[in-house]
Amino acid sequence: MGLVTELDKLRHGRLDRRAFNLALLAAGIGLVSAPLLPRRALAQGEQGTFFTWGGYDIPELFGAYQAKNGALPNFAIFGGTEEGLTKMRGGFVVDVAHPCNASLLRWIASGLFQPIDVSRLSNWPDVMPELVSITGNDAGEGRTWLAPFDWGQTSITYRTDLFELQGEESWDMLWDERYAGQLASLASGGDAWWCGAIKAGVPFTEIATDAAFDRVAEVMRAQRPLIRVYTDDTTTLEQALASGELAAAMTWNSSATQLRSQGVPVKFAQPKEGALTWVCGVMIHKDAPNLDRAYDIIDSLLSVEAGEFMIRDYGYGHSNARSFESFDSETLAGLGVSKTPADILAAGHFQIPQDEEFETRMNELFETIKAGF
Amino acid sequence: MSSIAEPAPGGVLSGARSPGAWFYRRPAVAGYALLSPAMAIMLVGVLLPVLILVAMSFWTRGGIGFDTTPTLDNYRKAAEEPIYLALLLRSFWVAGIATVATVALCYPMAYYVAFHVHRHKMLWIILMTLPFWTSYLLRVFAWKVILGYEGVINSGFLSLGLIAEPLAFLLYSPTAVIITLAHAWAAFAILPLYVSLEKIDRSLLEAATDLGDGPARRFFRITLPLSVPGIVSATFLIFIPTTGDYITPALLGGPDGAMIGNLIQLQFGPVNNWPMGAALSIVLMLWIALTGFVFLYLARTFRERSA
Repeated sequence: MGLVTELDKLRHGRLDRRAFNLALLAAGIGLVSAPLLPRRALAQGEQGTFFTWGGYDIPELFGAYQAKNGALPNFAIFGGTEEGLTKMRGGFVVDVAHPCNASLLRWIASGLFQPIDVSRLSNWPDVMPELVSITGNDAGEGRTWLAPFDWGQTSITYRTDLFELQGEESWDMLWDERYAGQLASLASGGDAWWCGAIKAGVPFTEIATDAAFDRVAEVMRAQRPLIRVYTDDTTTLEQALASGELAAAMTWNSSATQLRSQGVPVKFAQPKEGALTWVCGVMIHKDAPNLDRAYDIIDSLLSVEAGEFMIRDYGYGHSNARSFESFDSETLAGLGVSKTPADILAAGHFQIPQDEEFETRMNELFETIKAGF
Repeated sequence: MSSIAEPAPGGVLSGARSPGAWFYRRPAVAGYALLSPAMAIMLVGVLLPVLILVAMSFWTRGGIGFDTTPTLDNYRKAAEEPIYLALLLRSFWVAGIATVATVALCYPMAYYVAFHVHRHKMLWIILMTLPFWTSYLLRVFAWKVILGYEGVINSGFLSLGLIAEPLAFLLYSPTAVIITLAHAWAAFAILPLYVSLEKIDRSLLEAATDLGDGPARRFFRITLPLSVPGIVSATFLIFIPTTGDYITPALLGGPDGAMIGNLIQLQFGPVNNWPMGAALSIVLMLWIALTGFVFLYLARTFRERSA
């Protein structure tokens, strides 16, 4: 019963109802079972998957990986680490994911990750020890949960021609009523709430107390009518700053560096209260389907080439000490990074990992405030 | 059909012995067998998730996992805290205005094709739905470009000298969401409206003219009442998905344009309170069902009154 003869019968009106029903049934079963067929052809030669922010999904960071495996890793993108963790809790399996120090303890507690065997990483000896020894990172037997990759600040990028500075650079800039509707903030509480705490003068050691919640909520509510948009999409923030739609916005280092390289007159503020500082890194999923590729991804991220790109083009600090060798200290100071990360991290407010209860309460309250309540 | 005209090979007719005969002698079994692929998908893809959602809405969040003791706390919270009702009402108004605007804008288009186009009707329909061959997300982004600070509208007005500064309210506002939704869902209004207008018996219109109705009276007495089914289905097709729409307010709404869909997404994302998100989804479903019933009732009353 070839398809051609069946079609021929159909054309000549000789296909009876039963045969037609049978064909329909077969087509239905075929459709339903199609996803069960082997999908090797789609697997792109089994590359590792890197789950990260937009902006890290570029070939410049994966030169070593590409040289070894002949292709780029696969990328999956999240808007914020909470979103990423939620997706993985829901069953999304990747090889390598990219959290930051503030959520490290909760990511470990989720049981979704395996310790990293650092002896498999050729660049590990050059990784700065002070970035490895962050709270909770020790997985025993010389292994770590997180391989530190990038570090930097959350601060204010402002247009030097549009924003008239009153006195020193300060977090007050994002609460300046003269620029109502021309200010923007990152949307994730992981950045914005902590910056609010700096503005409110709440020490990070007390951020989980009820009193701290009240004080930070108060400043966030005061800021909300001034904000044009809350977004985690750095491209949106950068375009709005470039066009003059925004005069100042809460961003990471990279936005200011990228805008400056396009000739936009912006400055990455060093607020007098101190910026928010953080260290991010990569973790391996416990069920990583391509474990060897996962180590290749990490090793590539830790390489000097990747580090030089991170410093030069994004203005972030990198975890490999040798990445800084090709830059003079003046360039580094201009970018807001340093060969000795401890200087920068200690000069600002370094995030302290919090528990699940804090994260949920903080996010719920912050989202309510953003919605106008 | 033609199996009588041309006897099929023995196997089919001497069915008593073949296993297929048993199957074909019971139309119900055959019917269910044919339905089974779609039924299986509905069961696994729709019914089960809804049941999980209902069950989860009675749970509470507990650390990383869930506390599965049934409780009405989530629903109580949804009723008591003002944010939920406020966003639900905003979603209702935004989706409602977008729906009315879409149907009102698409009706004349569908009317024209149904009554005044006589050749290549299909081509007209295809041309009208052409913008909808691109992805929904792309259309939303396109509106971001149009409404943006340096967007098409602002730079057009600026170069014409109509405004001195770009209009900031175009983007990141409920207005932006309404404009985008009204365009993005137009195809879902044009097609049902066209079908119901096309079906109208032309002799009724001739009779109305013969009996002395002018074009306007004829439209309101014949065409409009007879096209109510199309209006109803277009309204449903647009209102239901836009009420829970997430991506348009997320990209264009700004702080004042957030809708209930965004709040539900947040519960499953950063806020990490899945049971609350489930409860809100159920509330949204009930809310849409309720509005739907009210609307159907009104539409029926209108038809009966005009009949």
